[in-house]
Amino acid sequence: MSKLKKVIENVRLWKGVAIVAGVYSFIFCVLIIANFTQINRVDPVNTKVLNTLVERLKENPNDNQLREEIRELDLLARKAYFTNQWQIKNGGYMLMIGVLVLIIALQFIRLATKGLPVVDNENDDKLLYTQNKARKWISIGGATLVVVALVFAFLTQNQLKSTFINAAQASNNEEKSQVSNSPVVQETTQAKVVETPKNVTAEVTDANKEKKLEVTTSKEEKKEQVQQPQVSNQVVTAANYPSDNELKNNFPNFRGFGGNAIAYQKNIPVSWDGSSGQNVLWKVAIPLPGYNSPVIWGDKIFVAGANASKREVYCFERNSGKLLWIANADNIQGSPLKAPDVQGDTGQSAPTISTDGKRVYVIFANGDIMAVDMNGTRVWAKNLGVPQNHYGHSSSLIAYKNLVIVQYDQRTNPRVLALSSATGDEVWSTPRKVKISWSSPIIVNTGIRAELMLVAEPSVSSYDPTTGKQLWSIDCISGEVGPSLAYADGVVFALNEYASLTAIKVGNTPQKLWESSDYLSDVPSPVATDKYLFVVTSYGTVVCYDAKTGTSYWTKEFENGFYSSPVIAEDKVYLMDKQGTMHIFKADKVYASLGEPKLGEKTVTTPAFANGRIYIRGDKNLYCIGK
Amino acid sequence: MKKTVAYTVLIFIISLQLYNSFAVQRFPKPEFESGYIQPPTSTPDPRSEAFAILDVVVLIATLSVVTWMVLKKRNRNGVFWISIFSIAYFGFFCEGCICAVGSVQNVTYALFNPVYSIPITVIAFFAIPIIFTVFFGRTFCAGVCPLGAIQDIFVLRPVTLKSWLLKVLGLIPFIYLGLSILYAATSTDFIICRYDPFVGFFRLNASFTMFMLGGIFLLLGVFIARPYCRFLCPYGVILNLVSRVSKKHLTITPAKCIQCKLCENSCPFGAIDKPVQVKEKEESHKAVRRIMLLTIIIPLLVLIGGYVGSRFHENLARVNHNVQLAQILLNPNNTQPDSFEVTAFKSSGKSTEEFFKETALIVNKFYIGGWILGGFLGLVFGLTLTSLSIFKYQEDYTPNKGTCLSCARCIDFCPVKEDER
Repeated sequence: MSKLKKVIENVRLWKGVAIVAGVYSFIFCVLIIANFTQINRVDPVNTKVLNTLVERLKENPNDNQLREEIRELDLLARKAYFTNQWQIKNGGYMLMIGVLVLIIALQFIRLATKGLPVVDNENDDKLLYTQNKARKWISIGGATLVVVALVFAFLTQNQLKSTFINAAQASNNEEKSQVSNSPVVQETTQAKVVETPKNVTAEVTDANKEKKLEVTTSKEEKKEQVQQPQVSNQVVTAANYPSDNELKNNFPNFRGFGGNAIAYQKNIPVSWDGSSGQNVLWKVAIPLPGYNSPVIWGDKIFVAGANASKREVYCFERNSGKLLWIANADNIQGSPLKAPDVQGDTGQSAPTISTDGKRVYVIFANGDIMAVDMNGTRVWAKNLGVPQNHYGHSSSLIAYKNLVIVQYDQRTNPRVLALSSATGDEVWSTPRKVKISWSSPIIVNTGIRAELMLVAEPSVSSYDPTTGKQLWSIDCISGEVGPSLAYADGVVFALNEYASLTAIKVGNTPQKLWESSDYLSDVPSPVATDKYLFVVTSYGTVVCYDAKTGTSYWTKEFENGFYSSPVIAEDKVYLMDKQGTMHIFKADKVYASLGEPKLGEKTVTTPAFANGRIYIRGDKNLYCIGK
Repeated sequence: MKKTVAYTVLIFIISLQLYNSFAVQRFPKPEFESGYIQPPTSTPDPRSEAFAILDVVVLIATLSVVTWMVLKKRNRNGVFWISIFSIAYFGFFCEGCICAVGSVQNVTYALFNPVYSIPITVIAFFAIPIIFTVFFGRTFCAGVCPLGAIQDIFVLRPVTLKSWLLKVLGLIPFIYLGLSILYAATSTDFIICRYDPFVGFFRLNASFTMFMLGGIFLLLGVFIARPYCRFLCPYGVILNLVSRVSKKHLTITPAKCIQCKLCENSCPFGAIDKPVQVKEKEESHKAVRRIMLLTIIIPLLVLIGGYVGSRFHENLARVNHNVQLAQILLNPNNTQPDSFEVTAFKSSGKSTEEFFKETALIVNKFYIGGWILGGFLGLVFGLTLTSLSIFKYQEDYTPNKGTCLSCARCIDFCPVKEDER
């Protein structure tokens, strides 16, 4: 102990250490500064020598020796740059060590040479003197601050606020003038008819249709004059919508009736072959790409497509595949000039169309929402504001009675809203305390009432679809939720990758029945019957659970992954993999394959069903399968 | 006994490391087939819940120990070793985040942005040091704050600054506090964190500028003790005000002061109030007249400050990224290729109308904020001038409760022992 004390009190030793550490630190400090200066001056990919050589190569592009020389030089310059960076970083650590040793040495010197404090009687600052001087300098300092700030303010003033307000006004005028200058504005609907393919012109250009177009146009003009028409109550109360049976007989939105992935159609084929054309009744190309799925009403089938500059709705004749009409979603007030930047696997047209047999409703990634009648005539269109969504908006629409419901879970102001299906006016809007989601709404009848159920981090929530009032909510999910909900017999199932699978008994006080986190999905939605729940993952695993207990009955690994969601028809699960193979198996607790027909085209969408038919949207084509 | 302590500490550190190695990222980073290794992020990963709780526990424990060392044990060496621990734990282990100094901004941001859910840990780091200060003075500054602690070990040859200069320089932290609140409230930036001179050392990833700034502060700190704490720290402003009402503040002498003057120059921070003789008192009518004048002037100073702040608001607003972007978009002479920000905005699909409207609102916020900030500074200047006109009779050498950092250096110089009470 005394030895240690001696070492600590050895001033000479510590002075030596301090000098060495000081010199060492100083040298490192200088080297680092020099290195930094050098690194800041040099742009490794833009040196004079390299540029000259590159110019020479441009004149003589076949000089391979010169090309190699440039490559070597370039590599050398980059290496030197990164070596310099490495030197600065490691030099910093070395300097820190040096400074640490220096400080320790100096502290020990201070401890060893610590004497009694010096008492200085003469150098006392008197209170009054201190106060006077402090007041004086604070006043000078404050005044200087005021003067400098004012000079700066007046020298640099350029009315930022009014500049921005004027710029906003100018942008608005610019957008408006672009719309009003367009010859299409007053004749939008006529233009659509002109664009309609020749083979269907007879159907859509007759005199009656012309009259209807005029009526629609005048309605639109009226709507522009009166910004908030009070039509909402009439819209909700007037029973001018299809019955549940009509909806079940068709395939009106994403995953069919209520969005719950149960098809009520019969005689669905289980075998076909895209390459040989077996059971492929027709196949037509879809002009623009889109990851939305087909929907069906009567003899018509609808899909949407879009790229960065164009957004369209296509209507095909269901039996022949004939393109009946194309409706352009253009010249929509408030629509951004440029399409939002979206991920390639979401695209500009991921949300599926919804229809109520009177109109077809479509939404695109830029927030444009449009209704056209069954003949492709625009009824209304508006922009809901570009969804703040980093992958791209993908939640599908769902029509309910006289409403079109939009799940708008975006970064700011996430909400669910209902628009009048006849006018597009907002009937209700309910804010949601959730993160961005990509799932679609489902509407189910719980036996007591119809409920609109949505899922997004952190909750599964239920709303009254007529009023938008939240009925219940339960926190159970996290992350970037893509899969939609599945519902059967009073239980709703929610899941997401990196979160969990939760079965919830619905009601005013919802209860978690069971949870599991073994197999989760980030894209495909689950499907449920009273007894079973089928979970599909994007990496190719399918699991069957007991819907009430969560007991796993079987797990099956498939070679290709799934983006398409499964649909149950006639107690069979139809599940399309990414490569276009439909896996058909019994909706039962024992896995039994009923067929694996191949389409011969990649697909990520969910099929639509009609009696004896199945409609599949491939990467580029729309297929009708049947006998 | 010492071995047991050493082993316990060792096991504790190893278990912390083990816990870290078992931590699983909720959203794992993608792996690249090319063998590309992702560079580390410049800000630390969010703490796991367990660690966040541990941080709060360690904060309370360290504060308790340092307070006990200062008030009960009256032991400077103990405070010094706790400082070393704080540098190691709150500095290097926590990578300087969360810190109480920066938490002022989180609290402000939460107050002005209802969408932001402020973590409980941040509230704890903001509130706990204040609560301790209310009762025991600035023991947090003494040895718990890693920013203060790292400067403290560099205090080698402190020079005594003139008292009047300390009063003048002591106003700078108010300006810094006002600016940091304004920028946090307008969702512009967390300037305290951005210009924290020491956090780069703690994260071992300081940029050159940061490294130089930190180095300058530390070198300056050899002669002017704790320059950041005294002349910049915005959190110190709050603690300074709160500490003035502390009941159990550190005292230089444990018994009666014998006026030996040994402690007079012991404080490197100039935080000891010296005895003031009655004879030094100003003629009372003069002092009263000045105080009355200043009291009347204070509202005027608030108004002048507010006016100047409101005139200066555009310069303040230009720090905001949206305002900067809007100016770039509106600049007709801009022939440069689009910056990343412009490209990002254009690809967002957001309409320019909406964006300019939002930006105009931001500027308006700065206009209101400019009034408030200027008014606040006018009030601070006015009150400081008034306080400098008040005569306070004092017999003994006592720590100034506001500026004293409770480092306990002065205790070592006092020859009076506790049992002499």
